[in-house]
Formats: sequence, structure tokens, C-alpha cells
Amino acid sequence: MIGERTLTLLGARAIAVTREVGGIALMTGQVLRALLPPRLDGRELVRNLHRMGNRSLPIVALTAFFAGGLMVVQSAPFVKRLGATSLAGWAAGYAVLREIGPILIGLMFSGRVGANNTAELGTMTVTEQLDGLRALAIDPIRYLIVPRVLAMLIMLTALTIIGDLVALVGAAVVAYLVLDIDWRTMYFSFADNLTPHDFFHGVYKSVAFGAAIALTSCYFGVTVKGGAVGVGRAVNAAVVAAAVSIMLLDFFITYATA
Amino acid sequence: MIELRDVGVELGGATLLRGVSLAVPAGARLGVIGPAAAGKSVLVKVMAGLIPPTTGRLIIDGTDVTGWSEEKLAPVRARIGMLFQNYALYDFLDVAGNVGFPLAQRGLAADALGPRVLERLRAVGLAGSEFKQPSQLSGGMKKRAGIARATIAAPELVLYDEPTAGLDPVTTSKVYDLLRADHDASGATAVAVSSDVAGLVTFVTDVVFVYRGQLAYQGPAATLADAPDPLVRQFVSGALDGPLEA
Amino acid sequence: MSAAPSLPVRALAALGRPVVAAARATLELWGVLIGTLAGIIRSYGKGGRRPRGAVLAQMYAIGNRSLVFVAVTLGFIGMVMMYQACLQFSRAIGDLSQVGLQFLRLVVSDFGPTLTAMMLATRVGAGIAAEIGSMKVTEQLDALRMSGVLPIDYLLVPRFLASIVMTVALTILGAAIMYGAGGLTAWLSFGVNPRTFFDPAMVQPRHLALGLIKAVTYGAAIPIVSGFCGLRARGSSEGVGWATTAAVVGSSFAVIALDFALSVGALWLFGGDL
Ligand SMILES: Nc1ncnc2c1ncn2[C@@H]1O[C@H](COP(=O)(O)OP(=O)(O)O)[C@@H](O)[C@H]1O
Ligand SMILES: [Mg+2]
Repeated sequence: MIGERTLTLLGARAIAVTREVGGIALMTGQVLRALLPPRLDGRELVRNLHRMGNRSLPIVALTAFFAGGLMVVQSAPFVKRLGATSLAGWAAGYAVLREIGPILIGLMFSGRVGANNTAELGTMTVTEQLDGLRALAIDPIRYLIVPRVLAMLIMLTALTIIGDLVALVGAAVVAYLVLDIDWRTMYFSFADNLTPHDFFHGVYKSVAFGAAIALTSCYFGVTVKGGAVGVGRAVNAAVVAAAVSIMLLDFFITYATA
Repeated sequence: MIELRDVGVELGGATLLRGVSLAVPAGARLGVIGPAAAGKSVLVKVMAGLIPPTTGRLIIDGTDVTGWSEEKLAPVRARIGMLFQNYALYDFLDVAGNVGFPLAQRGLAADALGPRVLERLRAVGLAGSEFKQPSQLSGGMKKRAGIARATIAAPELVLYDEPTAGLDPVTTSKVYDLLRADHDASGATAVAVSSDVAGLVTFVTDVVFVYRGQLAYQGPAATLADAPDPLVRQFVSGALDGPLEA
Repeated sequence: MSAAPSLPVRALAALGRPVVAAARATLELWGVLIGTLAGIIRSYGKGGRRPRGAVLAQMYAIGNRSLVFVAVTLGFIGMVMMYQACLQFSRAIGDLSQVGLQFLRLVVSDFGPTLTAMMLATRVGAGIAAEIGSMKVTEQLDALRMSGVLPIDYLLVPRFLASIVMTVALTILGAAIMYGAGGLTAWLSFGVNPRTFFDPAMVQPRHLALGLIKAVTYGAAIPIVSGFCGLRARGSSEGVGWATTAAVVGSSFAVIALDFALSVGALWLFGGDL
């Protein structure tokens, strides 16, 4: 029976997703408990921040620049038709600060830092290094996971703020090159139309995205099974879970802060 | 059958082989020994044309094939079988699919393929495992499946990279019995890499000793223990003190 | 022993190394693209041995893995975008009757293909790099070569063809869901009449053509970039992890950069008429 098989498959998929969501929730609880009282390894945190920032800043900046430019290009037919050059910065800036910036930067960060984190933790898991830590009575959550989660959360927020700026510059550059709008017009278009509220709307999102990326990537890293193939599969699962979480959180935050 | 002339290999800034000259006549059985990371696997991959020599020539059956493209090499490789150190069984195929792959790629029809696969699997002692996935096999079974795949197309030269590493002594003897029987029957040339000298000399007639990317010794297998080179003597006897550096 | 190189020489060497590495990587990337195109001719040209069913199997794998993923993510992002757009339109213009027309134009010519491809870069790109990368580090690619099979022909060509077809198919689905979800949001949250919203008057053949060209380009770029990353994998599980990561970032960025290039190209062609 086709119907029966499909149902079985769907059921299995649903159970797997439920198990993963449960596992991630459990890990969230463990991370929060490890933070109460906030006893954390400051040096490990700084080391992670440094590593993650180094690794992701170039690609995030490049992405943000293109994202800003893209939004100008998308609004260009409108602007050209109406001759409303003062609208270009408004449309691009609004879209970038609230949506496109946090989402694209989040996706890139997930691909660069989150995926790398899964691969690293996954390799440690398949080579039994996590068991090695436990044998030394070192809690992997406190020692490995918590600094990474905090570092990713802080780093993505910082990168989004930097990225916003780069994206606005990208928008101005592209507006100048493609639409012949001088930078003063763009500046006033940003300054007159964008509010701090637009900026913070995106920053809130980046905090939530950072937490989601961190937790999913750590979860799929420490639950790896089966060697090199398993690590590849876990990285794949982690980036997918992060992307879904980003879209869902984006939706809920947009509505909750309206 | 196969000849290396002053071959050097550099990869990723490291020198993996240097000044390797070696000739394996048709029908010969050559053993390759040496400490870990000496370059034994690199050496057999050069023979298979998988790693191009940075300097020197690779000559197969009198034809200089150095620098040939993958497509041009294909018919040459069709006459070579290879067992990889880590089996390299395809994880998207079952055991029968793996073993039959070289023949299937040559367009052999499925009904002609089946009996040949079965015959080979029986020869290596894997009858009954046709439909298992490689991940379900033990290390020894994977080695034997790899040997079956390397030999199914009746190659003129078979390269065995560590056919017995990680196997228990009984299985090791079985593998060498199998290789001897195979090559006695086919007369094919063999090159076998192994760190298990005692087992290896029951199969090969000549031995080369690889040390830090160079051939430190070449000579007959029978007199290996009395080789003039102190490196080889130490390696074969397993003595702790001597010129060998880990 | 030669003398230690002088400081400027060493500085130049330090600067040059990443440049040389990047140039070599770029060359290799083009090599993979050209090898794949040549592989299509080899396999599907006269006398080629086309792998039976391989393309269909890959199409099924992509669809099976990505259908729900694309539908969910594009649905949510469609709702969010429409929500933000309506907020802005009602504040600035106070008239929401144009919102559906503009949204459809954007979904067809940009957001549909680009966001679908961003999701596929994550899903399909990572999958291709993980598969080919783990085959590389376990020497399965060498084993293929020993059987006279070119890994690019055997593994990448079917994935390349399947990815193009499935990216177009999933783009159509994703765009439809995004548009529908947007219309629903405009109706439920801002009271925009669905009949005014779902009006295809603004969409011209050139918008459809642009969207289609984008989808095909992304569909081609994702397996090429990811296959390149997989083929470069070294070592063991770390190498595979690295390749998978590089594939996600590389193919996502390729989508953004190509989107930019194609959008600017279209703007240059059509100007204010786009
Ligand atoms: N593809 C490669 N790129 C760079 N270095 C390699 C490669 N393959 C092997 N090596 C290095 O070459 C040396 C010899 O390796 P190998 O031939 O596998 O040793 P063994 O004698 O144990 O088989 C090792 O140090 C290994 O790290
Ligand atoms: Mg070896």
C-alpha cells in the first residue's frame, strides 16, 4: 500500500524531528543551568570569539555589501520610473536593516561558523574525545558547549551591526554606480526615513538567530554517529535546522514586535 | 610489466618520494615493506597512475605513460587491479555491486556478470554476503571484498596495499593462501605492500624496502633477514636499537 | 645551505601565498565546471555511456530532501516580507492596492529563485560536498578511476543535471508558496482584498525569463561549487566537515553574487521598464 508506506515514512520523519527538537531543548536547558551561577571560562570564550570572528567577518562583510546593493537594484525600476531618487535609500535601508541583513548574515554565519562548529564537535565525538573529557570529570557542556554558544550569540549580533553598516555603504555605492544617485541623496534618504526602531528590530533578530544557530550546531555536533560520513551528514542537518529556525524565529519576532 | 625511472613525488610542499627506480617484470611478485608513512602507499598509487610523478617516468609494458590524461590512462588501468589500504568499497553499492563494478563499467551484461561475481566471492570466501552493505562487513571481510573487486577483471598486474593489516593471524594466512592460489592460476604480476614481513615472504619473490620516500634496499625475499643493509635487518628482526628512526 | 631570504622577499612571499592559493582554487573551480560540461558531452554525446537512471535518482533525492524545507522556509519568509512591506506602504503611501502587483514582480524576478536557491545551497550543496568529500577521503574516487570511470562524469554530471531541473521546479513551487503566503498575510493582517492582491497584470514575459535564467544559473552553480569543495577534501572526518562547510558558504555566496550580476544585467537591459 502506497498510502500506508507514505504514512509510515511521514510518521518516522515526524518522530525524528520531534526527537531532535527535544534534544535541542534539553541542551538549551543544560546550557542555561551551566550558566547559573554564571561561572564560565573567560579565556575559552575570548578564544572562540576571536576564532569565529576571524573566520566569518570577510564573508559576512562581502555578503552584506552585496545585499545592500541588491536591494537598491531591486528598487531601481521603481525609482527610475517615478524619478523618486530620494526613495532608493529608504526602500533599501528598510529591507536591509529589518530582514535581508539579519537573514543573509545569519545564513552565512550558520554556514561558516555553525557548520564548522558541528564538524569540529562531530570529529571530537567520533574520535571519542568527548568521552575522554568525561573520564577526566570535565563537563563537556560547561567546558565545550557554553563558551561556543555564548561566543556565537555575541559574535552574530556584532557581525549584524557591522554588516548593517557595510550594507548601507554597499547600497550607496551601487546607487551611485547603477542609478547615478550621489551619496548625499542616499545619506539623507537613509537619515530621514530610517528609525532606530528599524535598526533594533534587526538586532533583536540577530540575537535570536545566534542562539538558534549555536544550539542546533552544537546539538548535531555532539550527536554524530559513524565516522567521516556521519560528520558530513551532521553538518548538513545542522545547517538545515539552523535555516528553518531562522525563518521561523524571523516570523515570530516580526509579529511579536509589531 | 611496470617500471619506474628515477621517480620523485612532491605533494602539498612535501617530498613523498625521491629517486625511486624500480622494474617489475611480467609475472613477478614484488613485496614492498617499510615503516609507517614511509611512502609505500604513494609508491603503489604512482604505479596505478593515480598520483602523477613530479619527476621521472612511469613505464607500463614498454609504453611511457607519464603525464597521460585520465581518459588516455583508462585502457591502461583496465589491465591493473588494485586493493586499497582502507578498502575503498563503494558505500552506495552492496558487496556484489562492488565486486562486479569493474566489469559492469566495461558494459558486461548483468546475466554474464552474476556468475563471475559469484565465482569470485566464493574464491575469497564471501559467498552468501552478496547483498550486504560494506558497512555491515568486518575488516577482514572488507579486505576480501576489495581483493575480489581488484581481481575480477583478470588484470595483468594487481597492486595490493596492505592486504593483511589489522587481520588476525589465521585470516592473514588465509589471505596469503588466496593470493598465492590466484597468482599461480593467473600468472599475473603482483605488487604487495605489507608491514607483516613473515607473511609477505610466503607470497613474494622479491622485496623493496621504502624508507623516508626512498628505496633503501631491493633484493630477493629469501635472503631478506641477511640483507647487507642494517636498516632492513633491524626492520625485519624488530630490534629496538639500530639506525631506524620512527 | 642558502642564506635566509631577506625581509621584503619574505613579506612578498607571505602576501603572495594566499593570492596564489586563491588563483589556483579559482582555476580548479573552472576546471570542475569545464570537466562537468565535457562530461555531459562524453556521457550523452554520440557513443557515450549515459548512466542509466542516475539523473532521476538524484532528482528524487533532491526533491525528497528539499521539498518540505523549501516550502516551509519560503512560506514563512513570504509572510514576513509581506507584513513588513504592508507596514511600510501604509505608513508612507496609505494605499495597499499596489502591494500585490509589486510583490508578484519581485517574487517572480528575484525573491522566488534567489531564496529557493539559498535554501538549496544549504541543503543540496552541503549534501553533495559531504557525499563526494567522504568518497574522496575514503579513496572511493581513486577506486572509480581504477575502473576507468571519471569521478566527475559518474558523480557530478547526474547531480548537475538533476540540480538544474529541480532548482527550476522547486523555484516554481517556492515562488507560488511565497506569493500565496504573502497574499494571505496582506488579507488577514491588513485587510487587502485577495482579488486586488492576486492580480498578475504587472508580470511581463521578461520577468518570467529573468526568474527562469536565475533559477537555471543557481541550479548549475550549486553542484559545481559544492562538487569542487568535495573533490578538494583531504584527511578524514575533519576534511569532510571542512568541505561541507565550504560548500554551504561558497554556494550561498555564489547565489548572492550571481543574483547581483544578473539583476544588474537585467536593469541595464530594460532600465525603468523592468
Ligand atoms: N595526497 C597526499 N598529499 C600530501 N601528503 C600525502 C598524501 N598522501 C600521503 N601523504 C603523506 O606521504 C607520507 C607517506 O604516506 P603513505 O605512502 O600513505 O605511507 P605508508 O608508507 O604508511 O603507506 C605520509 O607522511 C603522508 O602524510
Ligand atoms: Mg599505506
